[in-house]
Amino acid sequence: MLTMSILKKLARAIAVFLVVTFVTFCMMFGNGAGIARGVLGLDAQPSDVQKEVVKLGLDQPLLVQYGKWLLGVVTGNLGQSYFTGQSVNEALASRVPVTLSLVIATLILTLVLSVAIGVTAAIFGGWIDRVVQFFTVLGAAVPAFIIAVGLVFAFAIALPLFPATGYVALSDDPTAWLHSIALPVIALLIGSVASAAAQIRGAVLDVQGRDFVRTLRARGIPEGPLLFRHVLRSASGPGLTVLSLQTIALLGGAVFVEQIFALPGIGQLANTSAQQGDVPIVMGIVLVTIVFVLVVNLLGDLANAALNPKARTR
Amino acid sequence: MRSTRRRALLALSVPVLVTAVALSGCTSGSSSSSSGSKDLLTLGMTQDINGWDPSNQPSYQNYPGMAIWDTLIRCDKLGKPLPGLATDWKISDDQRTISATLRSGQKFSDGEAADSAAVRATFEYAATQGAGSARYKGLKVDAPDATHVSLTWPAANPLIVLNTCNVAISSPKTISSKDFSKPVGSGPYILDKSHTTQGSVYTFTKNDKYWDSKTYPYKKLVVKVIASDTAALSALKTGQLDGSLITTATVNQAKSSNLKLQTLKSNETTRLLITDHLGKTIPALGNVDVRRAMNMVFDKKAVADKLYLGNAAPAYQIFKPGSDAYIADMKDPYPYDVDKAKALMKSAGFENGFTLTIPVIANTGVDKLLPYVTQQLGLINIKVEQQPLSGPNMYNELLGGKYPVPLWPLGNYGESLQDIYDYVLTGGIWNVSHQDDATIDGLWQKITTTSGSERKQAEQDVNKYITDQAWFVPMAYPDGFFAYSSKITVKPASDYAGLNPLLRDFQ
Repeated sequence: MLTMSILKKLARAIAVFLVVTFVTFCMMFGNGAGIARGVLGLDAQPSDVQKEVVKLGLDQPLLVQYGKWLLGVVTGNLGQSYFTGQSVNEALASRVPVTLSLVIATLILTLVLSVAIGVTAAIFGGWIDRVVQFFTVLGAAVPAFIIAVGLVFAFAIALPLFPATGYVALSDDPTAWLHSIALPVIALLIGSVASAAAQIRGAVLDVQGRDFVRTLRARGIPEGPLLFRHVLRSASGPGLTVLSLQTIALLGGAVFVEQIFALPGIGQLANTSAQQGDVPIVMGIVLVTIVFVLVVNLLGDLANAALNPKARTR
Repeated sequence: MRSTRRRALLALSVPVLVTAVALSGCTSGSSSSSSGSKDLLTLGMTQDINGWDPSNQPSYQNYPGMAIWDTLIRCDKLGKPLPGLATDWKISDDQRTISATLRSGQKFSDGEAADSAAVRATFEYAATQGAGSARYKGLKVDAPDATHVSLTWPAANPLIVLNTCNVAISSPKTISSKDFSKPVGSGPYILDKSHTTQGSVYTFTKNDKYWDSKTYPYKKLVVKVIASDTAALSALKTGQLDGSLITTATVNQAKSSNLKLQTLKSNETTRLLITDHLGKTIPALGNVDVRRAMNMVFDKKAVADKLYLGNAAPAYQIFKPGSDAYIADMKDPYPYDVDKAKALMKSAGFENGFTLTIPVIANTGVDKLLPYVTQQLGLINIKVEQQPLSGPNMYNELLGGKYPVPLWPLGNYGESLQDIYDYVLTGGIWNVSHQDDATIDGLWQKITTTSGSERKQAEQDVNKYITDQAWFVPMAYPDGFFAYSSKITVKPASDYAGLNPLLRDFQ
């Protein structure tokens, strides 16, 4: 049953992948002359522009160009940047780890902190709940890039504890890596935790009010096991949904935060490449993003199924 | 119940504490390495280079290119020649040939000799590749021996010095293989590929065998691509960068920090380019009084003081002060006078005005100026409509002639011939309507056949003519800013476009 469900989800993921990549390709199509002029420079002669269009293969029909790109995906060759000549694989290999470092670190911390804060607020209520609600609204309302600017001023310039800009690879120096992502992750974390904690608080309150919890409590089950074995398990569905949505939102937020901290992630690359019409790079980024989102959604579904038996039958 | 809540609180607080401890651990490391000694120079650039094809290099803050490649000759801040790979040179009287003697013993990073064969291969490649290839069409390169070379254009070329000093001399082996995955040059630095991430950080080590290595005192050069103005300023303040261009948005913060500033004066002119002089697209623009009236509704001092917050000077002509075409004693030919402008519109028969579509590309500064331009032209009933342009085709559309009056802050060159070539001649890239003009053709002919004071006079005649004919509405010379650490010394920018200090200016 579970295998069938996974296969169905995979089939759906492939369909989503094809639709999204084809639509993106269509949006980038038809700019051949503009792209060629961008590659050659503004004062390029029309005849040279036309030669460049042919050289880049931008004179070919849409379906041929898309088919070639799909073939490249299957063979692992995503082509080269029109503008820098760098291979897309190489560009992604240097950029994706930066963005993933931010997103995954933020996601793990969001999971831990939002569960802790949301459950605390739901269980204890009173002033704790009111404080949590105030800060979740505040945290969700302030954009990550504003927080980022404040963090740089406070903890990189006024109090030089962290680097203001730049990234160090985990493989080069784990401590420096942690150091380089600390402020960007905190900038992303505040909004992410605020949103997720509010949802988890609501889900826990909802489950706590159900009949089965009252029955279990009446049977004398202690509060600890009741919370961890029953309440949290039942509340996991909405929590996991929120977290998988947060992951997608974090990718978007990372684009702005990368700019503030001058981090060489996919956000900066996506922005420049889309403006220039660097189709191979844009499609490479779209590919990575879709795969990441689909994997996160799949993992969310699997986790939900593992925690909640009802979800397995859907 | 109270005790069970306390236990639950304890259980929940564990992960929070773990997270807090993990984060606080981050504070124990040292911050970024401090630079600024003669060992290391770290510069920022706001946009990346387009890889290592020498024919496709940006002319703006291209520190990687300046590090890697040498040029046959260099240009000074007014576009006049200085020694480069060539120790001396001679330009023929007919302005077609430059003959140079090369210094011997210079080598590329791949071990090949940087000699006349390399110069020939480089210029022959430039004639077939890249945006500038039209400048080298029909170029004949003679290399009779290893240290002598001559470049001959098919016709007189007044831009012969600029067209020679802009070409990066490359290894013939690399050019023939067309493998530009790594740069091969004979310039002052060599790329350290192991510490380079394309699009982010470029690291170079000094080439001690370079003929002018004393001009480049730093043993190591790091160039970081930092597109965000805010991030660049943060990096400068915290010592992660020694120098970077910044904008008017952050200049006051830079001034209040412990940073030095080099103000790049008059490196561009904000202007409307009225290219439809014959009135083919908008008939009213064919009338010189209409074009003059358009000049009279702009208070240039107010533009400099209010729109540019004092970081600009009013402009009455398009050329860079000090360049040959610039007329030092020219007063404002069209002082701010709305009543007179209205009268001119009326006498020209266009009292009711017309509609003008101005293209706008985000983040170019045009979007900030356009409300003022719209308001002022509205005073003489010229209705301005904005046309936002974006995406890969935006420059094709902007320069395609569909919009005959672009609004743009265009660069000024120390060598004003380049301004005339780009903005005034019929084929000029920014003269988007490309309409013939016999007077300009005649003056250009004079420029190509004269030199010295005669040529200078011809250039100033061009200036007088386009000012009288109101081909442009010059408004202001906005300042550019290069912020740098007090630990380094930066000489006044020797770039002939005045856009940024060159690598040789860092001492």
